[in-house]
Amino acid sequence: MSRLSSADSRATSEEIPATEAADTEEAIEVDEAREDLLADLRAELGDALVDTHIDPGREVWARVSLESWVAAGTFARDGLACHFFDFLSAIDWMPSPFGRDMNSQEDLIVDGAPDSAAQAPGGAAADEQATGYAGGDTRFQLLARVHAPSRGLGLILKADLGDDPDLLRAATWVPVYAGAAWHEREAWEMFGIDFEGHPNLIHLYLPGEFEGHPLRKDFPLLSRRVKPWPGIVDVEPMPGEDEATVDTSEADANEDATEAAAE
Amino acid sequence: MGLVESGKMPKPMTKLLNLSRKYSLWMYQWGLACCGIEMGAALASPRYDMMRLGVIPFPASPRQADLIVVSGTITDKMAPSVRRLYEQMPDPKYVISMGSCTNCGGPYWDSYSVTKGLDQIIPVDVYIPGCPPRPEALLDAIAMLQAQIIDEDPAERWKGEPLVVS
Repeated sequence: MSRLSSADSRATSEEIPATEAADTEEAIEVDEAREDLLADLRAELGDALVDTHIDPGREVWARVSLESWVAAGTFARDGLACHFFDFLSAIDWMPSPFGRDMNSQEDLIVDGAPDSAAQAPGGAAADEQATGYAGGDTRFQLLARVHAPSRGLGLILKADLGDDPDLLRAATWVPVYAGAAWHEREAWEMFGIDFEGHPNLIHLYLPGEFEGHPLRKDFPLLSRRVKPWPGIVDVEPMPGEDEATVDTSEADANEDATEAAAE
Repeated sequence: MGLVESGKMPKPMTKLLNLSRKYSLWMYQWGLACCGIEMGAALASPRYDMMRLGVIPFPASPRQADLIVVSGTITDKMAPSVRRLYEQMPDPKYVISMGSCTNCGGPYWDSYSVTKGLDQIIPVDVYIPGCPPRPEALLDAIAMLQAQIIDEDPAERWKGEPLVVS
């Protein structure tokens, strides 16, 4: 399985020193097949190819400008033999404006209670905005993965969508990959991205009258806001775990839950 | 036929009819998610063999069903369809809610898209806890429902339009 680009995986790869990676037997320093693929893409797109990243032996990322999104998809299909469309989606890189108050009571026990500044809704939770592989400049990013079965290579394409949640626009990929139609419908309802030229941009998963875009970071989980996670009362000690400590933490959790409910 | 109109009938007849209703429950299966696998195991496997309890799990439509077992996550998008199929069933009708998702939303209780319990849209007779419940739990629920049916007055269960036999 290829690793998806995420803030976590990037942090992990940066923490491993280069010498240590070279010591492992399966580490491939130069991935020629993927370098060739990127070279072809760079020759076609020129400056529209903003940034790239290669994880040798695993995956390749290419960030293109939003204007050349369709051109990149067309070239991936015709020029790079990426005939298989894997997925198309989007990412909202903004740190949650709710801080950690969306965390369950279980998380609070494991990770410790957040400090009061981060807990206040709208307060400066202020984690750095992550960008993932191949970088990014804006809050929203479009991403898609296509695969070349004949070469055994995949390619993840990304494009910056902008920061304004009301002005998310991208050209549709439906003429290039017909299978993108449902993926774009999902990205449209989950993130509010308007795919210009899409033949049938209607709800796919959500009921027709649904308001909001659930996969945006500023979409609140209302159920959790009015009620702390109730499952903590059922926590049983793991086999071999010290039951006394678990009992006290469970009692604390119940007190926390009661206090939160009272507030 | 006038005797059983809208479930009203003389006492001895009630007992007799309840006995036969109890052992010929036509059960409509609504396996909406993973609990449906456990329901399938209870219905179709020789180990559990639910038909020995008089449950007949093959009605062609909800209009021929006495009992429904809703098992699995109900989303807000699916909820109107669940309600509509329930309304098509003839009286008296029974509902078993199988699994945590159907009971209360289960692990998805805080999701933006999941209905927090089947009883928010239709009345439920028996709840089966579990995630998922074992097939034996479903058999137990059927036995509980049968114990309820044998003592009840069918006329009280008659919620909808009166049945007119000409």
